Amino acid sequence: MESIKQNPLVKKVGFNRIVLCIVLLLMYGLFCALTGGDFFGARRILSALNYAYFLGFLSLAVTFVIATGGIDFSIGPVMFCCALMAGFCFTMYGMPMPAALLISLVVGLAFGIFNGYLVAYWDVPSFITSMASMNIAKGLASVFTKTQSVSWPQSTQEGGWFRKLVTIEDIPMGLIILLAIAVICAIVLNQTKMGRYILSLGSNKEAVRLSGVNVKKWEMSAYIVCGLLVGIAAIFFVGAYSTVQPGYGDQYNNEAIAGCVMGGTSMAGGLASISGTIIGVFIISLLQEGIMALGLDKNLQLIITGIIVIVAVFADVVARRRKN
Amino acid sequence: MGEVILTMKGIDKSFPGVHALDHVDLEVRKGEVHALMGENGAGKSTLMKVLTGIYKKDSGTITYEGKEVEFHNTREAQDAGVVIVHQELNMLGHLTVAQNIFIGREFKKGIRIDDKKMNEEARKLFDRMHIDIDPTETMSKLTVGKQQMCEIAKAISHEAKVIIFDEPSAALTEAEIEELFKIIRDLRAQGMGIVYISHRMDEIKVITDRVTVMRDGSYVGTLITKDCTKDDIINMMVGRVIYEDPKTKNMTPPGAPVVLKVDHLNAGKMVQDVSFELHKGEVLGFSGLMGAGRTETMRALFGADPIDSGDIYVNGQKVTIKSPQDAVKHGIGYLSEDRKRYGIVVQKSVAENTTMADLDEFSNGPFINKKKEKEVAEKFVDSLATKTPSVDQLVVNLSGGNQQKVVIAKWLTRNCDILIFDEPTRGIDVGAKNEIYKLMNQLAAEGKAIIMVSSEMTEILRMSDRIVVMCEGKKTGELDISEATQENIMNMATREIS
Repeated sequence: MESIKQNPLVKKVGFNRIVLCIVLLLMYGLFCALTGGDFFGARRILSALNYAYFLGFLSLAVTFVIATGGIDFSIGPVMFCCALMAGFCFTMYGMPMPAALLISLVVGLAFGIFNGYLVAYWDVPSFITSMASMNIAKGLASVFTKTQSVSWPQSTQEGGWFRKLVTIEDIPMGLIILLAIAVICAIVLNQTKMGRYILSLGSNKEAVRLSGVNVKKWEMSAYIVCGLLVGIAAIFFVGAYSTVQPGYGDQYNNEAIAGCVMGGTSMAGGLASISGTIIGVFIISLLQEGIMALGLDKNLQLIITGIIVIVAVFADVVARRRKN
Repeated sequence: MGEVILTMKGIDKSFPGVHALDHVDLEVRKGEVHALMGENGAGKSTLMKVLTGIYKKDSGTITYEGKEVEFHNTREAQDAGVVIVHQELNMLGHLTVAQNIFIGREFKKGIRIDDKKMNEEARKLFDRMHIDIDPTETMSKLTVGKQQMCEIAKAISHEAKVIIFDEPSAALTEAEIEELFKIIRDLRAQGMGIVYISHRMDEIKVITDRVTVMRDGSYVGTLITKDCTKDDIINMMVGRVIYEDPKTKNMTPPGAPVVLKVDHLNAGKMVQDVSFELHKGEVLGFSGLMGAGRTETMRALFGADPIDSGDIYVNGQKVTIKSPQDAVKHGIGYLSEDRKRYGIVVQKSVAENTTMADLDEFSNGPFINKKKEKEVAEKFVDSLATKTPSVDQLVVNLSGGNQQKVVIAKWLTRNCDILIFDEPTRGIDVGAKNEIYKLMNQLAAEGKAIIMVSSEMTEILRMSDRIVVMCEGKKTGELDISEATQENIMNMATREIS
């Protein structure tokens, strides 16, 4: 085992990520076998991918916050809030589609700034801040839409062109965009000052502050990136599922966090892996699709992601304890 | 003084790399107040921890009430009547006084807690101490002095026969100290044996009957307090032979400009009206006992803690320092006494830590130039002789001395001209210590100005060109190295300020 871990190629890719890829393939094989080949087709894979897009952006978003040692439980409801407000502007106020998409990003960004400012400058624990903004997001969306659900236009309707972001005639555009943004996220996290400070302050904030670094600014920046990515996630959610209902969205928090921690991002902060997050998201999306394909109870997904979070966090705790 | 109640004989205790107690003796009689004195790190606390079962002794005997005993934890010691009153109060602020006193052994009525009985019992204790505290009052509403009284009441409630006071007066006002002494005299009259640990020489004279002095983990001697002078005690505390050659004269070039001037700095209780000057190429030692306010002064000056008032001048220019960011901008670097918490990010690499304070220099726009970062980190690994397999190594894997070198490299990368070393060799082994000393001297020779806070007398005498001594948040003296001795430094460090 140790010798495998020390292999230079394994070290470069990361042991954890290799294990995750194997898990992903095994899951796929298992579902193919259990569904008698139904799962093998492109239909199921495209369907799983639809889930992976918005969840991928959510998971990338929360990766930045978790890297600082914080947490964000508002991402799911904020995503719904973005989709509802932007969609309502399009359907009810007749705004052009580009403006609606922009509104989604702006709403996400606004929540990111709000959360980040409270956490970084007012020292409100991120747990509390995000719980509060989760409720604010739900309430705001309900008030804005007068508690009506909002349906985004179908591809043949006016403004429906935005769905091309998700698929163009079976070409998974969403996958290309998700991976491209993931690459940008990885560059930000590993190659820039911002990423360096986010990870360092997640590891030891006081030491970074005493190095003369403006830790408040950099901590807030993680939440801003998070907010922006949540705004993007909203677009991909409605691009795949069209209709959003006010008052929901929390179920995606857990799945996004599960994808992130499964991929090797430490809940204690300071350690984050973008590629791990993406693989984690694929696993969760495949799981979701598999449960549907097998006709199992949807709630099973909740139970399994709950367990995944606990196992992944526990593994991280054990790993850190061993290091000390 | 009555018969002997507690005898510790030949107590020996080693930790990895440190011989903390070297055959130490201590004898306490009924009805005496016995002072335990010594510099920081002399072993007083370790000895008391061995007594109350927190540490296990390597050898030696403890005889208590005529029987040889060994307590395995504080609970056992408490039950036998040996109780410690800690310097930091272990009180739960939101509980009542009585609930605090009886915590862990509450009176019960069935399954319910019998608060009425606890209040009555607490009142009886306070009556016995002749003090007036309401047992139903919430603990956090009491003054520190009153809280301390509650802690003492708690100790007495354990049917204590030996009470150890660990620097009880550190946080008290004059009036509160008077009251504390009244209680201690009372306890003495009731025949308890009292161990009193304090740095305040004048208190020792007032309250104690005998004094035992420790130095560097060994027993030096026991004196009858009224027959000895302050100088006698100080001589026993510091009378060690200094192996490394102390500096004998100020090495700062004559006429070196003042690079840092601190004028009437106030920051909280621990920094009161501190003023000093630091010259280019100088090593300015800050000496004093634990809690003298040296670290607090440095943190305030570095912007890590808020300043209440006072001015700071860098190179003759008045500057405003509100955060470490400001301090670093003015070329001040701070190497904390607690490296792991405040100095390094242990889960990051040597290179990443090296550029932490100066990342702008290593960036093109938002992007980090990792090649340049690596080059500079490697340069410092070479010049400081840091032992690490590569600059990509995580700092957590380095030894204490090498971690310190990484912190030094961080500030040198930033090109700071004023370096504050707070306990630069704490937790570093002897060989690496000498390397750090050499490095500091070399930096001073290159024209950096260095402040060195140190609790080790030998370190102060070996490294400093001038020495500032602090005591209880105030500057109590300033000496040129040529006139400094262990005795006069210790004299200033223990001066009672009235």
